[in-house]
Amino acid sequence: MKVHLLGAHNRARYGDLLEANYKLRHRIFVDLQGWEAIRRPDGRDVDAFDGPDATHILVTDGDELVGGSRFNCHDGPTLLQAVFPGLVTEPLPAPPALGADWTRFYVRPDRREGRRRAPESAALFCAMMEYALSRGYAFITFVSTIYMVELGVSMGMRIVPLGAPANIDGKPTLAAWIEVSETALANIRRATGMSQMLLPVIDLDTRAPHIAVAGLY
Amino acid sequence: MNSDLMSTIDAIQRQTSGEDILDIFFGAIGGYGFERFIISGLPDRGQDVRPFVLLSGWPDEWYERYTSFGYVHLDPVARFCFSTTLPFEWSAATYDPSSDLPARRVMEEARDFGMNDGFSIPVHMEGGMQGIVSLVGSAHALDEHSRLELHMLALYAHGRLRYLNTAGDEHPRKRRAITRREAEVLKWAANGKTAGEIAVITGLSERTVNQHCVNAQAKLGTKNRTHTVVEAIRHKLITL
Repeated sequence: MKVHLLGAHNRARYGDLLEANYKLRHRIFVDLQGWEAIRRPDGRDVDAFDGPDATHILVTDGDELVGGSRFNCHDGPTLLQAVFPGLVTEPLPAPPALGADWTRFYVRPDRREGRRRAPESAALFCAMMEYALSRGYAFITFVSTIYMVELGVSMGMRIVPLGAPANIDGKPTLAAWIEVSETALANIRRATGMSQMLLPVIDLDTRAPHIAVAGLY
Repeated sequence: MNSDLMSTIDAIQRQTSGEDILDIFFGAIGGYGFERFIISGLPDRGQDVRPFVLLSGWPDEWYERYTSFGYVHLDPVARFCFSTTLPFEWSAATYDPSSDLPARRVMEEARDFGMNDGFSIPVHMEGGMQGIVSLVGSAHALDEHSRLELHMLALYAHGRLRYLNTAGDEHPRKRRAITRREAEVLKWAANGKTAGEIAVITGLSERTVNQHCVNAQAKLGTKNRTHTVVEAIRHKLITL
């Protein structure tokens, strides 16, 4: 299993993987989870927040894409502010440039079956916090069903609501932010059993790294 | 958002022991008209519920009764958690009182303890594990907004307790399952000591040593001393 960090600096070389990401997202979020509002005839889930400023963290196993997540810094447009403003009544905890909006978290459904904890999901949580720390972020926002709160808090993250929960499509939904800290990363690592750095140490803004890949296990 | 709720959520996440969360949670659910609660994982059939209990705000007598008689496996409310992701009133956890006598017994005994009515929040965890946050009291006055708030509150408490239970030491779990004295006696028993020898080592009377074993046996739902030692080791209540 490998974790890939795709940003403006390297996305040109990751065209195929990014394309697989859009197709898998459509299958998961539209076909399986029924988000009809984002259905597209070409079967690709791609929107305004997948532009050059977006960062993707993708997990592969061999040649197959098995999980992913997307991040947009709050100094630009975010899904949170554009699509879910009704869920947000509280201010962000720090200036917008110090946070990112975390969206389109997924693990391929066949990897979640059985009673084990999906390592793909564990890798995405660890990589999320590593990425946030490496960018110097103070907070990461998300919109999710409120079940995410239990999972995140049980792993030792501090999660603060940005507004009251609301029923959206019959599901209890919440906007919230996760505190970014070394302690949170240590807690997530302990909870998931991940002991090592998943993301490569790179300067995203100035250098093109030879390859943005780190092995797991 | 309601500032009381925000500060409750903040307080829950700052606590480092279940005992501290107990008072905060009592205060929070009291504001919605609930008097008692329990927060627990739900064991597979046949397993003892005690190692799964995260925090009990039940009357002691009912807690003892419910856990030592394996009521969790008969309780229609616990059963209903497996079939829904949304919170529900206990009255929605239906059973046939004419054929399902064990379920009826649990519900009738709960009633005798003044626990007629309640509101339960199922917790579905990664990997198929199942938990419950059960509030005792009438849910009739709850509007959609309050139900959502309680749902969120329950998930925060469950998550924090789960974190504390797995963080570093396992003392919170140990304390609730068997007492320190019982653990000490079982450790010596695991090392092959007789009750008489344990009495000499610990300075307790032989009768007290035997009583500790009997108490631990009742709490773990085991059949004899060897079985008790095995279960205590298996649940990591004692380490050798």
